[in-house]
Amino acid sequence: MSIIVAKSLSKHYGTNKALDQVSFEIEDGLPTALVGPNGAGKTTLFKLICGFMAPTSGEIEILGHKAGSNSLISKMSALPQDSLLDPNLAIITQLTQFGQLQGLSHTKAKHEAIKVLEIVELTDAAKEKPTALSHGMAKRVAIAQSLIGEPELILLDEPTAGIDPSNAKTIRTLITEQRTKSKFLISSHNLDELEKLCDQVLYLDNGQLQQSLSIHQHSDSFEFLTLTLKGSENLKPIIKEIQKIPLVSNIVQTQSNELSLQYDSEHSLDFEVQLLTCLHKKQCQYQSIYKGKRLEDKLFS
Amino acid sequence: MLQTSEPSTLRNTLLITAFDVQKLFFQRRGVIAISCFSLVWLFLLIYPIHGAVELLNNPNFKDFIIGFAQMSQTEKLLNWQVPELTVYWVIALYLYPMFSIIITADQFASDKQRGTLRFLLLRSNRDSLFFGRFLAQMLIQTILIALSLLATIFLACYRDIDLLLPSLSSSGFIVIALIINLLPYTALMSLLSLHANSARQATLYAVLFWMLTSLGLAILNYFFPVTEFLQFIKPGVQLSDMLNTQGAGVLTYSMLPIIQAVAFLALGRVYMQRSAL
Repeated sequence: MSIIVAKSLSKHYGTNKALDQVSFEIEDGLPTALVGPNGAGKTTLFKLICGFMAPTSGEIEILGHKAGSNSLISKMSALPQDSLLDPNLAIITQLTQFGQLQGLSHTKAKHEAIKVLEIVELTDAAKEKPTALSHGMAKRVAIAQSLIGEPELILLDEPTAGIDPSNAKTIRTLITEQRTKSKFLISSHNLDELEKLCDQVLYLDNGQLQQSLSIHQHSDSFEFLTLTLKGSENLKPIIKEIQKIPLVSNIVQTQSNELSLQYDSEHSLDFEVQLLTCLHKKQCQYQSIYKGKRLEDKLFS
Repeated sequence: MLQTSEPSTLRNTLLITAFDVQKLFFQRRGVIAISCFSLVWLFLLIYPIHGAVELLNNPNFKDFIIGFAQMSQTEKLLNWQVPELTVYWVIALYLYPMFSIIITADQFASDKQRGTLRFLLLRSNRDSLFFGRFLAQMLIQTILIALSLLATIFLACYRDIDLLLPSLSSSGFIVIALIINLLPYTALMSLLSLHANSARQATLYAVLFWMLTSLGLAILNYFFPVTEFLQFIKPGVQLSDMLNTQGAGVLTYSMLPIIQAVAFLALGRVYMQRSAL
């Protein structure tokens, strides 16, 4: 089932083309990542999906409805970038009001507000005003509002940007927990984070869709394995040793201590055993073995 | 997904209205604003209104005014049964529009700048948001008018309890006339507040609007007298005529502000629908 369908979507600010003829389809399932450099058009695309602005040309359909349609209330929600709650109203009051606007009664809306605050572990801050919260806590409250009513689609625009590792981890955990209930579209610069959370990736640059790929999809009969070794000593001896493994078809050094190995996918287990034997033989310790290519390598190599 | 019925535009409009009214009466900022408003009216009631009533009860003063301003311009104003309401009417007619410009200046500006409107737009359409906030401002002003009028009636009854019935019969017309007068001011401020980045900027836009339209229309009218009708785009152009009215007569000039309000609301709605938030 298609969650979002964009056809020739363009948004121009004067002569600047923030989005230029972008077409894509996002299916239901695991979260989808939206990546790209600053100014690539990610936030503009989010705003068009949310109906905060109209496209210059093209069409966008969300869950079978036009962006900004009344039918999307309760079905779609978002964490808009750089948006703050009303500083004069208590958090619980505002979240209850949001629930009421989504069609819930006052009592149900209040229960729902408490429930989403529990999810982001901020029940204690319910009666506080947004000004009393730290940046990380404010972000979690903003994510909490997007969970009200368990919408089918949730857009998160840079959910962990500018917040400390502890809060970022809490946010990643809650997305992992919620991703079975809702479809997430997440924009972020943190590729490691997206790798853990998402399946599909849309790569935008200069307002154009450069790539649309699946993180966990393997190409043809070959599989990749990313081997990160401890320390950054000379890798030539170990590369020479790995090349002797008959199942290996290609080795690329991606970083000073990282190798990307291509091998025959039919003999995956045999290859892994042979690789570890090889490392043992050369008395070489590994830091990590990652099945597949890193997202960074997929996008930029 | 939690099962909910699709909220209607009307339901969400009324909810947004209720949220904004609650914000005024249950938040510290709102309570401070009401306290300031009450203090201003207390001052007006104790000094100008109470003082003027003594003068208006003096037949010699009445004769002097009639002779000075000509009978036709003041006869209805001076024949109000409750002198307190006469003075209240004169003050409220000019004071409330000024209040209106100040208190309705932040209908959208701060929330737009802060991004708060986006949280609401995810759950209601733009019409609900626009008209909900406009209605909230009208309701708040109605409450303020009612409060000040009740205080004036109390003042009149304190002097003479027999004035209660005539006061109540006139006050209904006064409330309706004042509310109608405030419609175009509030609608204009809805439009300006959508464009502005802060309440202060919206107020400045309002001042510019009145200065430029007054000056521009005066020049235009000087060279092209046929354009005199354009004066009617300015809210409050009927206020001086409304001064010398009485009883149900205060509603005589209601059509113009209603038309102005409809025009400003239509412009505001178009702006709201087209703007990026």
